[in-house]
Amino acid sequence: MKIKLNFLLCVFLLLPLVLFAQQQIRGKVTESGTGEPVIGASIIEVGASNGTTTDVNGNFSLAVRKNAVIRISFIGFLSQEINTGGRTSFDIVLREDAQSLDEVVVVGYGTQKRTEITGAISSIKGDDLTKLATQRIDQALQGRAAGVLVLNADGAPGGNTVIQIRGVNSILGGSDALIVVDGFQGGDLTSLNPNDIESMEVLKDASATAIYGAKGANGVILIQTKRGRSTKPRISYSADFGVSNVLMGGVKLMNAADYARETNFYNSRNNYDYDPIPIFTDEEITEFERTGGTNWMDVVYRQALTQTHQLSVERKIDNLTFYVSGQYYNQEGVLLASGYDRYSLRANFNSDITNWLKFGLTWYGALETRYGAAFDPNIDPNGNPIYASLNYAPTLPIYDEEGNYSKANPLYGHPTAWNPLASAIEPDSKRQNVINNANLFLDFNILKGLTLRVQGSARLNNALDASYYNTKTYGGYTDNGIGTSTSSFAKNLQNSNILTYKLDIGKHNFQVLGVGEIQYSETFSTKISNKDFIIQETGYYSLGGSNIQKTSSSHNERKLVSFLGKLNYSFDNRYLTSFSLRADGSSVFGRNHKWGYFPAGSLGWRVSEEKFLKGNKLISNLMFRSSFGVTGNQAIGSYQTLSRIAQDSAYPWDGGDGAIVAYTVNSASNPNLKWESTIQRNLGFDIALLKNQLEFTAEVFRKNTTDMLLSRELPLSSGLTSITDNVGSMETTGWEVSFKTNGIRLGNLRWSSSLNLSSSSTIVLDLGTYKFLAYSAGSSGGGVGVPFKYLTVGEPFGQFMGFKYIGLWQEGEEEEAGRYGQRPGNARYEDVNADGKIDFDNDWQVIGNSTPDLILGWSNDFSYKRWNLSFLFQGTIGNDIFNVSRIQRESASTGVSVDRLKRWTYENQNTDIPAVWDSKSGVAYRDAWNATHPDQPYVSTYIFPTSGGNLTSRWLEDGSYIRLKNIQLSYNFPSIQGISNLRLSVSCTNVFTLTKYKGFDPEVSSYTTSAAHYGTDTSSYPQARTVNFALNITL
Amino acid sequence: MKTIKYLSRKTTLCILLIFLLSGCELIDLEENPRGVVTADNFFNTPEQVESVLASWGRYTFKPWGRTYGYGPDFERHTDQRGGNLLIQLDYCATFFTKHYNSIKDLNFAIYALQAGQVPVTEDQYNLLMGQLKFLRAWNYFQLVRGWGDIPLLTEEHVPDYFNYQLTRTPVAEVYAQIILDFQEAIKTLPIKWSTDKKGRPTQDAAKALLAKTYLTMATAPLNETSYYAKAADMAKEVMDAGNYSLVQDIDKVFSFETEYGPEMMWSFHANDEYPSTDPRVWTPLDGWSDNAPSIPWANAYPEQPRKGAYLQLYDKNGVHYNTRKRAPGIKKYLYDTKENFEKYFTRINIPIIRYADVLLIFAEAENMSKGGPTQAAVDALNLVIDRSNGHVENFNHPRANIDMWQDEFDLKVLRERNLELCFEHDRWFDMLRKRSILTDVRESVRPNFDERIYLWPIPEAEIRANKNMTQNPGY
Repeated sequence: MKIKLNFLLCVFLLLPLVLFAQQQIRGKVTESGTGEPVIGASIIEVGASNGTTTDVNGNFSLAVRKNAVIRISFIGFLSQEINTGGRTSFDIVLREDAQSLDEVVVVGYGTQKRTEITGAISSIKGDDLTKLATQRIDQALQGRAAGVLVLNADGAPGGNTVIQIRGVNSILGGSDALIVVDGFQGGDLTSLNPNDIESMEVLKDASATAIYGAKGANGVILIQTKRGRSTKPRISYSADFGVSNVLMGGVKLMNAADYARETNFYNSRNNYDYDPIPIFTDEEITEFERTGGTNWMDVVYRQALTQTHQLSVERKIDNLTFYVSGQYYNQEGVLLASGYDRYSLRANFNSDITNWLKFGLTWYGALETRYGAAFDPNIDPNGNPIYASLNYAPTLPIYDEEGNYSKANPLYGHPTAWNPLASAIEPDSKRQNVINNANLFLDFNILKGLTLRVQGSARLNNALDASYYNTKTYGGYTDNGIGTSTSSFAKNLQNSNILTYKLDIGKHNFQVLGVGEIQYSETFSTKISNKDFIIQETGYYSLGGSNIQKTSSSHNERKLVSFLGKLNYSFDNRYLTSFSLRADGSSVFGRNHKWGYFPAGSLGWRVSEEKFLKGNKLISNLMFRSSFGVTGNQAIGSYQTLSRIAQDSAYPWDGGDGAIVAYTVNSASNPNLKWESTIQRNLGFDIALLKNQLEFTAEVFRKNTTDMLLSRELPLSSGLTSITDNVGSMETTGWEVSFKTNGIRLGNLRWSSSLNLSSSSTIVLDLGTYKFLAYSAGSSGGGVGVPFKYLTVGEPFGQFMGFKYIGLWQEGEEEEAGRYGQRPGNARYEDVNADGKIDFDNDWQVIGNSTPDLILGWSNDFSYKRWNLSFLFQGTIGNDIFNVSRIQRESASTGVSVDRLKRWTYENQNTDIPAVWDSKSGVAYRDAWNATHPDQPYVSTYIFPTSGGNLTSRWLEDGSYIRLKNIQLSYNFPSIQGISNLRLSVSCTNVFTLTKYKGFDPEVSSYTTSAAHYGTDTSSYPQARTVNFALNITL
Repeated sequence: MKTIKYLSRKTTLCILLIFLLSGCELIDLEENPRGVVTADNFFNTPEQVESVLASWGRYTFKPWGRTYGYGPDFERHTDQRGGNLLIQLDYCATFFTKHYNSIKDLNFAIYALQAGQVPVTEDQYNLLMGQLKFLRAWNYFQLVRGWGDIPLLTEEHVPDYFNYQLTRTPVAEVYAQIILDFQEAIKTLPIKWSTDKKGRPTQDAAKALLAKTYLTMATAPLNETSYYAKAADMAKEVMDAGNYSLVQDIDKVFSFETEYGPEMMWSFHANDEYPSTDPRVWTPLDGWSDNAPSIPWANAYPEQPRKGAYLQLYDKNGVHYNTRKRAPGIKKYLYDTKENFEKYFTRINIPIIRYADVLLIFAEAENMSKGGPTQAAVDALNLVIDRSNGHVENFNHPRANIDMWQDEFDLKVLRERNLELCFEHDRWFDMLRKRSILTDVRESVRPNFDERIYLWPIPEAEIRANKNMTQNPGY
C-alpha cells in the first residue's frame, strides 16, 4: 500500500511532465552579420505563459513542452518562430527588422498595417529622434520626412519652430500641422520629452487627414508614446552635456576705429550750410585703433552649457505594462541671461482588466521655464539685445565714466538703440508654464472584431509670465520701471468614443470605424502691467509698489463637436480602398454655418501581391495609391463672427491727471463665416527591392483651398479696415520622393541611409475684392514700414515685391543717370516702362519669392561592430530672404556693417555699396546739369512710396542652404554583468552651413504667426553650434 | 462568457446613452462671450458714451500729436528741413483712417443717445451730445481740408454701418454738416467746465473752430467770400465774451500753468500716465533731426522775444544753433522738466485751437470782408504782434496799421500766422486755402510742384473696398 501510495504520488508528481512532456531547451541568440550576442531578447513559448530573456552573452534556457513552438523577438529585429521539434539546443540568428512590412502604423483613430495604407504617411521611429542631441521633437523632425518643412524661427532656447506640411494652405488660419499625442488632439511639440516617443507618423494627404476634418488641412502629426515592452525590467539612464557657441553666419561688423572714420566721413558730407565739425578727433581714432573699441557681439554672447538627465523604467508584468520616465533638461542660451529648462514626468500604464476590457492611462506633466529678455519682432527693437548688439556703435564703451551703462550718442550712430549689455542682462524675465496632460481610455471588446474605445483627455496649462524692466533698461528708463505679470489658465478637454469593427470573410477584409467626439477649450488670463515703481529692487515680486497700475483680463472658449465614419475594405491584400466622412460643428463660426462636412476616399493596388509578382526576388513590394479628400481649417479665434466693442486703453479727456477708459467698435458681425476647406488629391507609389533593403516612395499632390479665411477689406470710411470672411482660394501642387536603404552590408560595415526631396508651389487664385494683399514687417528692425510681401491673384504665394536693384551707376553713365537725377555711385533700378522715372505705378515688380524650390534631407547611419556614425544633411534650395536687418546695418549714416567700407568711389566701382556724395558737390553737380540740360532739370525721378525707399532687391538675398545639421559618433560597450547596454556618444549640431546668405542664418522667419511673412529676417536670435557628450546605460 | 458579453453590451449601451443624452446640451454651438462687449450690451450708461470721447483721443492724438513729429511732412517744404513735395499714393492714409475710426464711434454713440438707449437727464444729454458733435465736426473739418469730397457718414447710417459704400459728398455739403455739428455744440457746451474737467471743449472752443471753418470756406476751394463776415462775427463773439485772452508773457504761452487757459482753448492732452511723444523729436540740438526747423527759415524768423520762446536757439550747453551747425529746436514743445527730457518722456499737450488763432482769424476775415483793414482788425493783429515783441517797439517786426492795403494786411496776417502758430499743424492748411504752395515752398523743391497737391490722394484701401469711390485728380 505504501509502495502503491508512493507510486501514486510519483505518478501524480510526474503527471504534469508526462502530460505536457516538458523538456529543457537552451540556446544562444546572435545578431545576423556581426555575430554579436543579442541581450534581453525575449523567448516565449507560443500558446503558453512561460518565457525568458537572453542574458548578457545572449544565452537562454527554458522549459517547454515537447514540440513546442518558441517565438524569439527583440526590438528592432524580425521575430522568429521555431518549432523545437524535440531539439534542445538552438543557435538563433536574428535579422534586423528592415522596415518590417507587417509593421503596424498608427493612423487616425486606430492602427493599420503598413502594407494596407493607401494614404501618404511618413513614419519616424522614436529611436531615430533620440539619436539627435536636441531635446526638442520639432527640431528632431527637421530633414527626416519628405514634404515636411521645419523652420527654426529663432535660435533661442525654447524658441519657436514652424512645421509646415506640404506648403502653405491658409493665410489667416495658420499653416501649423495638427499634433495628436496618443489620440489627444492639440498641444505642442516643444514641451514633450523626445525620449518618450515610440513612433511618430506624419499624415500628409487628405485620405489620412480628412478624418480630422476641420483641423486636418495642414497635415497631422501623430505621436505614440512608449509602453512597457519587456518582461524583464528595463531601467535606463542617460546624461547629456553640451557646449554651444553662437554662429555669426554672414554678419560682419566694423571695429571702432573704422566706424569712427566712417562716421566722420558721413558727417563731413552734410556740408551744404556749413563744413561740419568732425565728430571724432584724430587722437580718439588712434585710441580706438589701440583698444579696438567694444565688440558688442563678444559682450552679449557667451559659451553656453546644456545638460539633460533622463531616467526611465519599463516593464511588462502579466496583464500590466508600464513605462515611467523623468527628465531634467537645462539649456543656457548663447545670449546672456537667456535659457530654458524643463522638468518632466511621464507615466504610461496599460492593463488587460478582463478579456473584454482593457484600460490605458497616460499622464505627462512638465514644468518649463524660459528666461531672458524678450527679443521677438513684436517688441520695440531698440530694447531688443539682439537688435541692439547689431546696431550699437562700437565706439561706445560698455560703461560711461560714472560706471553707468553707456547711452547712444544723439550725434552719431543708431539714435535709439539701447545699451546691448543692459538690454540683455537687466531685464528680469521668467516665463513659466505648467503642463498637465492626462489621457485615459477603456477598450471594450464587445464581440469578436467589435471594440469600443472610450477616451477622455485633459490638458491643463498654467502659465505665469513675469518680467521686470528696471530703470537701466530701454522701456524701464523712461517709465521708471515696468513690471508685468500675466497668468493664464488654459483647459482643453476631449472625449472620443471610437467604435471599430473588423470582419474578414475569405479574402474580403472589412474595417469599419465610427466616432463621436467633443472637444472643448477655454482660456482665461489676467494681466497686471505696472509702471513708475517706487522701489526698483522688488520688481515683479511687489507689483503694488508702483504709481501707474493697469490690469486686464480676457476669456475665450470654443467647442468642436464631431461625428465620423470610416470604411476600409481590401480584397486579398491586393485591392485596397477606404472611405470616410466627418461632420464637425464649431462654435467659432457664424450662426448660419456651424457645421461642415469632410469626405475622403482612397484606392490602392498592391501589385506585388498579384500572381505575376508574388515571390519575386527583386521586387518585394510594389503599390500604387490614389486619394482624394476634403479637410478644413477652423483656426480663427473665438467671437470673430460677432460685432464687438473693445476697450482701447484710455485718454485724459478731462485734462490733467487721470484718464477715462476708451471703448471702440472694433469689428463688424459676420453670421456667414465658415470653414476654410481644402480639397486634396494625391497619387503615390511605393516600391521595395531586395527583401526591402531598398525602398522608394514617390508622391504627387494637388491641394485647392477655397473659402479661404481672409480679412475682407471694408471701406476705410466705415471706420473699420476689414472683416474676417471666406474669400479667396489658392492652389498648391507638389511632389515628394524618398529613397531609403535599410542596412546594406559591406563586411562588418552596415549602412542605412534615407534621402528625401520635396517641392511644392502655391498659386493664389482669388482674393475676393483684392487684386493683391500686402504685408509689411512693421517698423521693427529699423527697416520697412511699408508692405513688401504680396499675395497677388494669379501669382505664386510668397512673392516679394519692390524695385529691382541693378547695381550702381558707373563712371561713363553720367548722361543716363542724370536723366533720373542720379550720379555715378548711386543705386540704379530697373525702369520697366523706360519712362525715365522709377515709380510705384510702373516699376514696382516681383523681385523674389520666399518658397523654396526644393526641400531636402539626407540622413546616414554607419555601424561597424560596436561603433556607430550617423549624420544628417538638410537644406532648402531656391528661396529668397528679405534681409531687413541689413538695411540698418548697411545704413550710410549709422550702419555697423563692415561692408560700408566698400563704398563706391571712382577708384572702387565694383561694389554694391552706394557712394555718399557731399551736399555741396551735389548742388554743384545739379547746377552744372541744369545748365547743360535746360529742357530736363536735375530732379530725382526715383519716386518711392512714403518711406518705401528700402523696398528694393538690394536687400533680397538667395536663402538657399545646405547644412550638416548633425553628426554623431557612438560606441556601444560590451555588456558587463548587470549592465545590458552602455553607450557613449559625441555629437555636433549645426556643424557647417553652405550658403551665400549675409545674415545670421538662412533658416529664418522672424514672423512665425503668419505664413505671409516667411522669409523676413529682422535679426532674430542666432543659431548656435553645439557639441554634446552623452552617456546611456540600460540595466 | 455569455454574462460577460451581456454585461459588456449593457455597459456599452449605458455609455452610448450617456453620451447621447449629454450630447443634446453639448452640441449647442452658440457663442456666449463673457469677456467681450458687443453692440447689444453697450451704450447703456453716460460713462459708456463718454468712453467714445476717449476713443477719439486714442485714435487722433497719435497721428496729430505723437507720430506727427516723424511722419508726414506738412511743413517740410517751408518751415522744416527736408521734404520734396512729392506726394505719393497713400500719403497721410493713417490720418484718413483714424478720423473715420473716431467718426464711427461717435456716430454709434450719437445714435444710441438719440434712440433713448441711455438713461440721462436733459442736461446730461445736452452735454454728451455737444461733445460728440463737436468731435465729429472737428474730424470732418480735418478730413474735408485734406481730401475734398469725402463720404459723409452720420448716425443715420448706424444700424447697417459697415455695409455702406458711399459716394463722395461734395465739399460744400460736408461743410454744411460741420457747421450744423459745431452749432449744436455751441448751443449745448458750457462756457466753463469744472476744474476737474478743465480740458473739455467749451462753447468758445466750438465757436473758434467754427470761425476757422467759415474762414476756410471763404478761401479755396469753395471761395465763398461771404463767409469772411461770418468768420469775423464768430471770432468776434469769442473775443467779446472775454472768457479767453492772450497770455501776456511770451515765455509762458506754452507752459504747464497755461495748458488749459486763458489762451489755450482746446488741445490734445497728455499726462504722466499717457505721455506725449519722445521729446527728442523736437530738438535737433539735444536730440534727433526728424522734426528740424529749416535753418534758413529760422534765420529769417524776426529777432524778437518770441523767437527765443518758440524756438530752441541754444543747446543744453548754451551753444547757439548756428555755432553748433545744427537746426534749432521747437521750444514750444519743450516746456517739460529737464529730468523728464533726460528720460525721453514728456507730458506736454499739443494745441489744437488757442486765442491767438482767434485774433488772427478775426484780423484776416475782417480785413477781407470789409475791403481793407479796420481798426478792430489792426488791433487784433497788433495784440499778437505786441506780445511777440515783449510789448516794446521792434523794428524787426513792426506793428500793423490802418493805412495798409488790403493785400498787404492779408499777407501780414498770414506771415503772423506762420510765426505765431508755427509747428501747430496750421501752415499746410493755410497754404492750401490760400493756394500759395508754389510761392511759399523752398525753391529747391519747386520743380516737383503739381496742382494735384492741393488734395491728398484718397487711400488705396478706400478705393479698393468702396466701389463708389473715385481718386482725386492727378493721382
